[in-house]
Amino acid sequence: MNNKKVFILSGLLPALALILAFTYYPFLKGIIMAFQDYKLFDLRNVHFVGLDNFKAAFKDPKFFTALKNSGYWVFCSLILQFVFGLALALLLRKPFRGRGIFQGFAFYSWALSGFLIGMIWKWMFNSQIGVINDLLLRLHIIDERIGFLSNPKWAMMSVIIANVWYGIAFFAIMLLAALQSVPADLYEAADMDGATGIRKLWNVTLPYILPTIIATTLLRAIWIFNDPSLIYGLTNGGPAGSTHILSSLMLDKIIYAGDYGAASAIGVIMIALLLLYTIFFLTVTKAEKVGDF
Amino acid sequence: MTTRNKVSALVLCGALTAGLLAGCGSKNDSTNEGNGGGQVTLRMIESLTSPARTELLKASIEKFETANPNIKVDLISPPFDQADNKIRTMLGAKEDLDVIEARDLNVSEYVNNGFIDPLNTFADSWSDYASVSAIAKSLGSVGDKLYFVPNGLYERQLFYRADWFKELGLTPPKTWEELYETGKKLTDPSKNRFGFSFRGASGSNGTTDAITLAYNGDNVNLEDSMFTKDGKSIYSTPEGKQAMELYLKLYKDTSPPDSVNWGFQEQVQAFTSGVTGMLLQDPDVIQSLTEKMAEGTWATAPLQAGPGGKALLAAGGAGWAIPSDSKHKEEAWKLISFLSSPAENTEFSKKFGLIPIHTSATEDEFFKSGPYKTLLDMSNDSAHFVNFKPPFQYPGNGQWGQLVQDSGQSLLLGQTSLDDTLKKWADFWDKQKAELKK
Amino acid sequence: MKQRLGTGFKVLFLGIYLIVMVFPLYWIVITSLKPQKDIFTFPLRYWPKQFTMDNYVNIFKISKFHIYIGNSLIVSIAAAFIVIIISVLSAYVLARYKFRGHGQVMLAFFLTQMLPGFISLAPLYLMMSHMDLLNTRYSLVLMYTVGLIPFSTIMLRGFFQRIPGSLEEAAMIDGCSRWSALLRVIIPVMLPGIASTFIFAFVQNWNELFLAVMFIDDESMKTLPVAMNSFILKFDVDWGAMSAGAVLSIIPTIFIFAIAQRFIVEGLTQGAEKG
Repeated sequence: MNNKKVFILSGLLPALALILAFTYYPFLKGIIMAFQDYKLFDLRNVHFVGLDNFKAAFKDPKFFTALKNSGYWVFCSLILQFVFGLALALLLRKPFRGRGIFQGFAFYSWALSGFLIGMIWKWMFNSQIGVINDLLLRLHIIDERIGFLSNPKWAMMSVIIANVWYGIAFFAIMLLAALQSVPADLYEAADMDGATGIRKLWNVTLPYILPTIIATTLLRAIWIFNDPSLIYGLTNGGPAGSTHILSSLMLDKIIYAGDYGAASAIGVIMIALLLLYTIFFLTVTKAEKVGDF
Repeated sequence: MTTRNKVSALVLCGALTAGLLAGCGSKNDSTNEGNGGGQVTLRMIESLTSPARTELLKASIEKFETANPNIKVDLISPPFDQADNKIRTMLGAKEDLDVIEARDLNVSEYVNNGFIDPLNTFADSWSDYASVSAIAKSLGSVGDKLYFVPNGLYERQLFYRADWFKELGLTPPKTWEELYETGKKLTDPSKNRFGFSFRGASGSNGTTDAITLAYNGDNVNLEDSMFTKDGKSIYSTPEGKQAMELYLKLYKDTSPPDSVNWGFQEQVQAFTSGVTGMLLQDPDVIQSLTEKMAEGTWATAPLQAGPGGKALLAAGGAGWAIPSDSKHKEEAWKLISFLSSPAENTEFSKKFGLIPIHTSATEDEFFKSGPYKTLLDMSNDSAHFVNFKPPFQYPGNGQWGQLVQDSGQSLLLGQTSLDDTLKKWADFWDKQKAELKK
Repeated sequence: MKQRLGTGFKVLFLGIYLIVMVFPLYWIVITSLKPQKDIFTFPLRYWPKQFTMDNYVNIFKISKFHIYIGNSLIVSIAAAFIVIIISVLSAYVLARYKFRGHGQVMLAFFLTQMLPGFISLAPLYLMMSHMDLLNTRYSLVLMYTVGLIPFSTIMLRGFFQRIPGSLEEAAMIDGCSRWSALLRVIIPVMLPGIASTFIFAFVQNWNELFLAVMFIDDESMKTLPVAMNSFILKFDVDWGAMSAGAVLSIIPTIFIFAIAQRFIVEGLTQGAEKG
């Protein structure tokens, strides 16, 4: 019994100590900015303003556009990344000739840094000098150039395409690893019952990798929600603010206004939303599958 | 691989990690600070970094170190994209820094936060200070104090496709109206050719400000350039409205539709790849144009004037400042005055496409020819090219860029009317002014 | 018939997917082999008129690319190894034991993923300064490790949960201690999960930009993303250098991926033996 306690403690201690010291401690020191008038231009005049920053955020119509966009952005990106990622993982599960090389090319997008992906896609999406318009014109798929990033009708979709392109690899890698660990005897049993491919997928494979599915989709949703780099790199929130999500709006407050107070307040609101989402998600998916909280 | 082998592989990995970590240390011994008299190490950080410019700076620093054997300089070169953020963080944490590169657009912020010291006492006893141009002095000053010594100036000018102009028998436009007319003649969407390299995303306020200032002309308060002499916003006057009407036409009739969401990269790339025929930019682009375009295909012309015949321009730039927390201010100044000497500064400006800060340097043949000539022409013709001071003293200047991008794009896309937009912009500046007075 | 239809669909899907994935890579590679003057020409050229290695030569000449690659490798691999070691422990404990505060610990891991980084940056910078870690590679190894522990723990825990507890119980009856049961019996079965978590950790570290910009001053300790970021200039982007750098930055990740891939496949065959 005592032995068990020692084992639990020594197993958790390194991880917990590091996180408390280097994630939570600086975060708690920084978070007071949300309740302060904290502007880069006037650092000698930082003072508490109560909930003013939050009131200002809720009064800004841009906040609600960004909130709506965030939902759309996370939902579309996540679903598409997951579906394609799972399909890819299933197709790659059994070895075939050239699988190694195929994987190298299929997954390299994950190995590029965020700012680079933004720059590459911005260049490719450009309607005058971009290669996508050029290809579509040459193949006679379109007659007129499309303003992928400048037309409000297209902009959000274009950014989501870039994000899906980037993120499929994550799901494919993680789900592939999970699929590899499905014991063969489970399939043998299913075969004996005469199950078809889709039945096997539904009754054997998916339930077995469900913990991985829940953990990856939950985490990925949080990351997509929090990461402004693609939106920032591709559209800068434009045209006319139509592609801002909450995290890019937060970045905007820092870059243009140097207003850390306003940005932190949006950050706190985002954390609250994510907590709600997590609780909801874990309830719906029956948390004990991922782990009993 | 058996299980046993795997365990030993893991142990090996652990050992490898330890080995790698051992290679992580080796902190440089830059801590030999101020032990009275001996060797001094200056820590210097640049902001407008580019690999080529860093090489130039290093060469100058090396010369300085040879001349001053007891001073060593550590140059920090963060990527341009992140540099100001890093400088600000270091200053806020009171990290050792002795020379920093401050920019026109953030020097007020540094001064306001007490991050940097005025340089007047140093400059007064500096023999080369007399030949520093008035514009350079004004650029480096906040209020009546000098806070940085500029390392070069840039001014906006027109870059145009000389070959296309020749083909169509066009001459460089002198006014904004002519720019529009010329742009229309160059535009042929079926050939993917457009007259003007427009940008509607970040930095779009550069164009709206330039055209509106030109239209307000003589009426602009040059010291407080977002306002007219009688204190009204330049966007609230009839001339301002006229200017913005032309701005809209400029986008609709002479620019690629996509450019509503272009920033500087796309704007310059469209010009270098032969999609657009005219580009308004600072001389920093000269180097990339030279690298990427065939000789003789492009040329430069002065900035466009308004109906009153005047073009308003501002000198921009960055330069060297001394942080208040520096422990080696004397040595830091020594370095700054070395880098800012006529010889060093002129060499630096030539190689990097800037206007030198010393009036004497403009005698140099180099600046009398080629793409730099127009810059000199503009400064010699003060009757038509008037200098104004950009509104960097306003804390909201950064938000201005954001506002023009957001509401300007919705104006260009036809989502809001010009009158509403102008009202919003004028209100913004009235509010800024009221807050500054407080 | 059905079988063939399935194969056809598989080939079609994988083929289209490959084209969509590879095209941007093709475009980067082609760009990196074009002379500066040809990168932005119109009409676009899908095959360079003229091939050159200038861009590659230049990034080694104007910036010290070999040093940056070395630094990135050291920092990324070191942090990924440490992360795996720490997270295997915490994940195992969280997967196998129920104890008071279990839920809170899990929540503490999840919550870290929601915190926006910029809020902590200034306090973190001060902490690094007080610990005298600024301008050392230790600062990056430390922070990359910290940043990846929660994700790795959550992922590895999922893999542990799928392994029946009977496995190590049998080993413990055989006289192994809990530690050696973990090391000798569980970890080998876990290799696919460990390998993919390792890849993930490595890639995240390999691409991290903001902390590397903030914490490192010296040229000799800069990492690859910082060097690549500096090809963005005030009014231009040096696409020649950028594309060459991008190509070079992909190669080591593909290499690491290929190595880790072996472990994943091996884990599969082992699982089959057990079955």
